[in-house]
Amino acid sequence: MKKFWILINFEWLNFKADKGLLILTTLTLFAGLYGIYYGTTEIERQRENIAALDVLTEHNVEEMKVKFPGEADAGDIGYYHSTFAVNHPDSWASLSMGQRDVNPYYIKLRLLNLQSQLYDTENINPLKVLSGNFDLAFVLVYLFPLLIIGLCFNILSLEKEQGTLPLLMSQPISLPLVVGAKLTFRVLIVMGLALLLSIIAMLWEQVSPDVRVALWLGVVVLNTLFWFGVAFLVAALQKNSAFSAVTLLGVWLMLTIIIPALLNVYVAIKQPVPQALELTIKQREEVHGGWDKPKRETMNKLFTLYPQWTDTTEIQGRFAWRWYYAFQHLGDVAVADLARDYQESLQARHQLVERLSVLSVPVNVQGVFNAMTGSDLPSHLAFLQSATRYHGELREFYYPFLFNQVGFTHADYDREPRHTSTSSPDFTTAYSGLVKLFLSVLLVYVAGLLLFRMKEAIVK
Amino acid sequence: MVRSIAKKEFLSTLRDSRFMALSIIVLLLLLAATIVGLHSYQTLQEERTIAQEKVNNQFANSADRHPHRMAHYGSYAFRPKSSISFLDFGIDSYTGASVYMEAHRQNSANFSQAQQSSSLIRFGEMTVAFVLQMLIPLLIIFLCFGAFTQEKETDTLQILLSQGVSLRQVAWAKIAGYSKVVALVVAPALVLASLLLFGRGGFEMEDDLLVRLVLFMLFYLVYFFIFIVLSVVVSALHQRSSTALVTLLGIWILLCVITPKATANLGANLYTTPTKAQMDADVHEEVAKGIDGHNSSDARAETLKQELLKKYKVAKLQDLPVNFDGILMAVGEEHSSKVYQAHFDDLTDIFKKQNSISEYTGLLNPYLAVRHLSMGMAGSDFSHYIHFQNMAERYRYNQSQELNHIQATQLKYGDKETRLSSDTWKNFKPFVYETPHAGWALGNHMVSLVSLLLWLVLVCTLGLRLIDNTKVA
Repeated sequence: MKKFWILINFEWLNFKADKGLLILTTLTLFAGLYGIYYGTTEIERQRENIAALDVLTEHNVEEMKVKFPGEADAGDIGYYHSTFAVNHPDSWASLSMGQRDVNPYYIKLRLLNLQSQLYDTENINPLKVLSGNFDLAFVLVYLFPLLIIGLCFNILSLEKEQGTLPLLMSQPISLPLVVGAKLTFRVLIVMGLALLLSIIAMLWEQVSPDVRVALWLGVVVLNTLFWFGVAFLVAALQKNSAFSAVTLLGVWLMLTIIIPALLNVYVAIKQPVPQALELTIKQREEVHGGWDKPKRETMNKLFTLYPQWTDTTEIQGRFAWRWYYAFQHLGDVAVADLARDYQESLQARHQLVERLSVLSVPVNVQGVFNAMTGSDLPSHLAFLQSATRYHGELREFYYPFLFNQVGFTHADYDREPRHTSTSSPDFTTAYSGLVKLFLSVLLVYVAGLLLFRMKEAIVK
Repeated sequence: MVRSIAKKEFLSTLRDSRFMALSIIVLLLLLAATIVGLHSYQTLQEERTIAQEKVNNQFANSADRHPHRMAHYGSYAFRPKSSISFLDFGIDSYTGASVYMEAHRQNSANFSQAQQSSSLIRFGEMTVAFVLQMLIPLLIIFLCFGAFTQEKETDTLQILLSQGVSLRQVAWAKIAGYSKVVALVVAPALVLASLLLFGRGGFEMEDDLLVRLVLFMLFYLVYFFIFIVLSVVVSALHQRSSTALVTLLGIWILLCVITPKATANLGANLYTTPTKAQMDADVHEEVAKGIDGHNSSDARAETLKQELLKKYKVAKLQDLPVNFDGILMAVGEEHSSKVYQAHFDDLTDIFKKQNSISEYTGLLNPYLAVRHLSMGMAGSDFSHYIHFQNMAERYRYNQSQELNHIQATQLKYGDKETRLSSDTWKNFKPFVYETPHAGWALGNHMVSLVSLLLWLVLVCTLGLRLIDNTKVA
């Protein structure tokens, strides 16, 4: 054991003397800090934007009150007044922003048909989202492996190339011990850095201190160990530094870029989502067709869904709001199957990705991070469903005014339901991802050890 | 002598089994990316063409309706994919495919590929551009890192120089040899891509497409050449192959992985994007101050009314020779569209400012320069997207105004009942989007073009001057 610590100590002295390594580590530290800064400012901006929506709603209500000074027809209010369904970021969101920049985090709603409003998008700069987020998850998933590669590619070969390995081996220590000590030293540095950054991010963002603290740190540790395992495996091949560097970078490229890109192609072909355009076309046709259908037919259809509003009085004249909103809603009903299909296909697509994530540790780790912070596709789908329910509540709120033909007073604005939701973490995905990660780590170390044994056997 | 060095580099590379294995992998990826890109292009394009035809037919065959009903019924614009976007998806996966175009309202482009994906898509997509931008440089690094260091390590450089060639000549010879190797790897895929592109159109060469494709390839060749020279220069500055390689890999990581994301994020951090909700509210506010197409009690509507009454010397709106409803709607549409366009242009400017950080970083990073140029030529860049949105808005505006005109001329004041015959809608031209020409596309990327050329000049002059100072012993 003492020899081990001597080796560690020498590694430390070496590390301090090597400017390249110091620069690499410092760069990663700053990249991590920038990632934390970027993530928190971006999520803070989303929070501010969401808070500003309340102001917009207030403003809109004031405008309504001026426009309709007395009692108003609820139909007018439903048409001109708008509220928002909002999806607050989870307190962990800034650590791993996932798809929160691509998917809208609020939906502006009027009493009109839902399907024409649900998929509206936010102002996003496509070139920016194409480049992706420089958040802490990016640093941990992309850059830390590179740091590990930078620290480890010449772990043995350098001693060989400098001619110090025979010297070292002439001492009464074994090769695995030397490699073990070198790796341990590097693991300590890298893991310390990764954990430090994670804890800084958690404290800075004041994340809710639940089981996710342990989960996150566990994933960070396992992810670090995995990449050290890869470095160990490549060191076991006992080739020169250049070969190791290229091999390690090749593995990184494979796991972080090429396999995910290929998986993406596979997923798109295997689980197509063709419904979107059909959905948007069909809902328009259904809703606008409502104008041309006999009013009685439309009303009867609605009354089968809402028997409590059934009345026998014929709608007189060209137009009545209750008829207007009836065909708006029937438009939604007509495409309900298609809309459900669409969301189920998206869900299925995500599940397929989850199953495939076993093929690439970075994909898996990113998936776990996004699941933990509630920033992936399923939490957006949950938001869409929450917004759908809210739209239902709004209709239920307005129907009594419309069908009983009661005036809408200024006091009624306060009674109108408001929406709020916070994206929630997906622990099932997170835990299954953790298990997969653990198995990957196990696999890479077993392979590394076997390879070392084999090489040793050959040498002997 | 120079020629024989080049030949030697070329031949010895071909004999290097490890390099050949890597080249074959890259070549296979390149071919796979071409096929995958084409498949994805065809699927999306077909989906959108079918959707566009469907809505065009729906509009033309609409029931008898009141013109303003038709204005609210509106149209859709489905963004067609540019023909060579299968080589570089660019931002296409992150932009909406469909815009609903109706009276009074400008809607967002919805249903982007990215929104229909899990976060897997953020790892990047398998496209020809990806292989060309990221993997070929890596292959080049692997090919060239030992250019000088190997000669130094085996002490052959001195022998070489004793033959009477200069360091610079050796460098050029090696660059020539490596260029030939790279051409060998890239050429099959580029030829295949061209064949696929033009094969589809029955080999009817569209001039503009040809220009785009040639420029596309040309930019990449320049980019590869820059990387070859850069790698050779770095190799000359190092004594050991391993350190040269590590330096080059570090440069690659910095250029291709870290800066693109960092600059894009920095841009977005520096220039705040207003939310769509805020923008819509601002537009609404400004429009309300002006005229509201649905609200004839408004002060400006009143002025318009008085003006018209005076002009036609009548007392009542009913007596006007034109329908006041239609006129009012047209004036309202004109005003609100102007306000919206101003806000949309502001938003575009903010995005452009955000993107300019990446563009100007191209001066320091040839990867960014070629990335922008590539997207531009493929018709999948930011400018093409904005162009489409503007064309859709123009179509929306014109359609609304045509319908307002019909209302103003064919219907009586206050008439909400009359339905015009279905034939009326057949006279409307459907939305057709035409991709702007290559010159326009290139004009949007002058910074990147200058960056790429500057790099070319710099590595060839300054870079090679550095080689002169290299230590031989």
